[in-house]
Amino acid sequence: MSNYISTVGVEVHVELKTKTKIFSNSENGYGQMANSLTNVVDLAYPGTLPTLNEEVINLAIRAATILNCNIQRKMHFDRKNYFYPDISKNYQITQNDTPIGYDGYVEIETSSGEKEKIYIEEMHIEEDTCKSAHRGNRTLLDFNRAGVPLIEIVTKPCMKSGEEVKLYLEKLRELLSFGNISDCKIEEGSMRADVNVSLRKEESDPLGIKAEIKNIGSISNAKLGVEKEIERQTKLYDNGETFLPQTRRFDDKLGDTVLMRVKETGNDYRYFPEPDIPYVIITEEMIEKAKKEIPMLPDERREKYKELGVSDINTTKLVANRSLSDYFNTLLEEKTNFKTASNLLLGDIAAYLNKKEKEITETTLTKERFLELIKLMDNNTLTSKNLKDILNEVLESTEKIEEIMKEKGIENITNDDEIKSIIQKIIEENKESVNDYKNGHDRAIKYLMGQVMKETKGKANPKLAMDILTSCLQEL
Amino acid sequence: MKYLNKGIEEIHELLKSKIIKPIDLVEEAFENIEKNQELNAYITLNKEEALKTAKELEDKEVDNLLFGLPIALKDNIVTKDLKTTCASHILENFIPLYDATVVEKIKAKNMIIIGKTNMDEFAMGSSSRTSYFGAPKNPWDKNKICGGSSGGSAATIAARDVLFALGSDTGGSIRQPASYTGIVGMKPTYGRISRYGLVAFASSLDQMGPMTKNVYENAVLLNALVGKDEKDLTSANKEEEDFTRWIGQDIKGMKIAIPNFLMGDVVSSEVKGKIEEVISLLKEKGATVDYIDIKYLENAMTLYQIIAMGEASSNLARFDGIRYGFQAENVENIEDVYLETRGQGFGDEVKRRIMVGSYLLSGENAKVYYHKALSIRDDMKKEFQKAFQNYDLIIGPTSVTTAYDLSDPMDDPRKSFMDDVLVIPVNMAGLPGMNIPVGFDKNHMPIGMQIIGNYFEEAKMYQLGSFIEKELNLDLTPGGEK
Repeated sequence: MSNYISTVGVEVHVELKTKTKIFSNSENGYGQMANSLTNVVDLAYPGTLPTLNEEVINLAIRAATILNCNIQRKMHFDRKNYFYPDISKNYQITQNDTPIGYDGYVEIETSSGEKEKIYIEEMHIEEDTCKSAHRGNRTLLDFNRAGVPLIEIVTKPCMKSGEEVKLYLEKLRELLSFGNISDCKIEEGSMRADVNVSLRKEESDPLGIKAEIKNIGSISNAKLGVEKEIERQTKLYDNGETFLPQTRRFDDKLGDTVLMRVKETGNDYRYFPEPDIPYVIITEEMIEKAKKEIPMLPDERREKYKELGVSDINTTKLVANRSLSDYFNTLLEEKTNFKTASNLLLGDIAAYLNKKEKEITETTLTKERFLELIKLMDNNTLTSKNLKDILNEVLESTEKIEEIMKEKGIENITNDDEIKSIIQKIIEENKESVNDYKNGHDRAIKYLMGQVMKETKGKANPKLAMDILTSCLQEL
Repeated sequence: MKYLNKGIEEIHELLKSKIIKPIDLVEEAFENIEKNQELNAYITLNKEEALKTAKELEDKEVDNLLFGLPIALKDNIVTKDLKTTCASHILENFIPLYDATVVEKIKAKNMIIIGKTNMDEFAMGSSSRTSYFGAPKNPWDKNKICGGSSGGSAATIAARDVLFALGSDTGGSIRQPASYTGIVGMKPTYGRISRYGLVAFASSLDQMGPMTKNVYENAVLLNALVGKDEKDLTSANKEEEDFTRWIGQDIKGMKIAIPNFLMGDVVSSEVKGKIEEVISLLKEKGATVDYIDIKYLENAMTLYQIIAMGEASSNLARFDGIRYGFQAENVENIEDVYLETRGQGFGDEVKRRIMVGSYLLSGENAKVYYHKALSIRDDMKKEFQKAFQNYDLIIGPTSVTTAYDLSDPMDDPRKSFMDDVLVIPVNMAGLPGMNIPVGFDKNHMPIGMQIIGNYFEEAKMYQLGSFIEKELNLDLTPGGEK
């Protein structure tokens, strides 16, 4: 097999999280009854005109900022003319001449830990099309998605592998979802990626014949699709064959790409400036406002958590769980044990939330009660075992945690002297086990500990009791 | 007893004092329309609904000058539950789900919609002969065109069927038919009136406007139509004003310009002669009138064709038979749906313009033609601005000739554009323009004069227009006083 240089570029469409559509006041929603989120503008009734949702501009500026793009100060929209039933006007309103953002980059970290920039050529605003469902020889159209605001982010042809594509898409998804710009749910279509793959012999050669892969349902498929396509093209070239520029789709079942259509030369979209929407001037104030609204992004969170003593694994888990991370961030100004806080959140609390299918904000765990909980755990007033017993109440009632503990009869003996006298009594009564321990049978200490807990009816703080027991035994 | 040939204020008093009721006016309007049926001014009559509305108004207070008065709307203005065809087969049975913003405004004044008037198909034409429903006829001579594209609105006003009509003007379509039929037609500044609900022909040029028998009534109607509309981003946010406020005022010291282009060789000597008479009158009454040159006016027609047809090719793409309107039968696939529906649904002129427009935007052509046209258009705007630094208003003839025969050949598209050569520069610059009748030719066909104002200076145009109207005191009723 010969060696080729692969070149990959990615185009990503992301649906913006706005209340209403971009050019009409219909609701922007997902999973509703077909055509229930439409009005005369979305359906391109004669005489209707587009309006412009300002929140779209705001979110697009925010996205452009996060993606390190330059921002266009005077921009307009363009009409892309083509006949297809998925676009009611038979033209799409998009940006051809003046994309809102250009010349940006995203930084990814490769498996070897190296940082690498993925360059963004441009990002522009456009409207989503309607969804078509083909049933036999009929086609059903659902215009709920028509007019949902999109940004399209186009990279330079700067990647070489499926792995890079995967890292880029993961990074993009992380940035845009943490930026509150989009849900980035690939399965619901709120993030969609198309990749372009070509091969050439030498860096100095012009780019090779391009195949575009569409309909990619997941990030891992994007990686696989690129790899399979590189493989396919390599084989063709090795066999001395060639191919026509084409559009392929990723087939989930095959785990491979299949041909959709050979590209016709010179698609003519007859672009021209949209006369129904005046030029948009993007002011310094608009940019400042958008910047101010950027929430703390993942890299910054990671750095912050490490600083606060949160373990690496917890840091990763927290950043992966947006709502817990946001909740955690409300503590940042407090004096507390962040390690304990992260353990609690990602341990028992996360398990509870998963089981009950709840968000942390839907529980009664206010910041104040959480701080109380951390304190009780830290000073051993509450054991992990105890916590399991009262967790439901802690997360469902508004009572003080100490009150809940009292009601449940949880009262930990945290007095050293009291525990010490009980331990001494146990040592006296279990000479045999003490001897076993001395003879190196570590198991014996567990037995002794069990006796202590039995004697105290489980009220002795286990960690404390263990410490005292160990030191008592060593003193013997 | 006839009322609809009276002035608006007189009718208003009669309504207010309950001597007549809105239903009397509605019934009279329909009698007139029936009597003038031959004019083919209407595509759809709104008789049942109009009578019902008139009845309902009897319990309401007569609270404004337009209350209870019948109005006709060009059939490219969208009316809820009332057929809106754009004079096209493709929308022959189209019943809209909503009212255009102007229609809401008209209804808010309790005006009564009488019907939808005939026009060139999708407003593409200058004699209303491209209508799928046949051409309307000129009340002054039924063998002649009444101009276009707002031909039906012009005919019904000239015939005195009703007091008010709305037209739309993309390249002269209000002013030119107004000139051919001896009425007052105003195309306001681009953005003055919301375009929401006007079926788009060329978005950057389209503007609706009032068509009436005199200047005052025109200004009164305009008062009701204007205003910023959040549904139309190109509508202008201007302080409220009364467009009638300078009507009746003297014009002494007014500075008026005539671009040499508007009095060029293409203009017939009869028309030119009449305009010159008005110029003498104006000078006599203390205005200054200068002939000036405005650059690029001679390019306006070319620019218009590029911009209007380019935009039209895109605007009319939505008529595909999928969501509304006519759909061709026995189609096999989606390609056929488009080809057959549009092939059968549109008339020749519309198809011609869509084809030319598509060509003009194709590939590199967009840069060579469309973008270049937009840039020259900006230059032309600047030239007009230069003129308005020194002059209050610009005047000239509206049309190169008076109305010609319905039977004249239609096969030369350039001829149709020549009809509009004097009115198109106004659209290109987005300026307001108005036609007022200033006399008749030897066959007693009306001759019109155009008054062009600076942006948003419609009030000043009405001032000059009403002054001339009063001085000339023409009998503008076809066939004499009714």
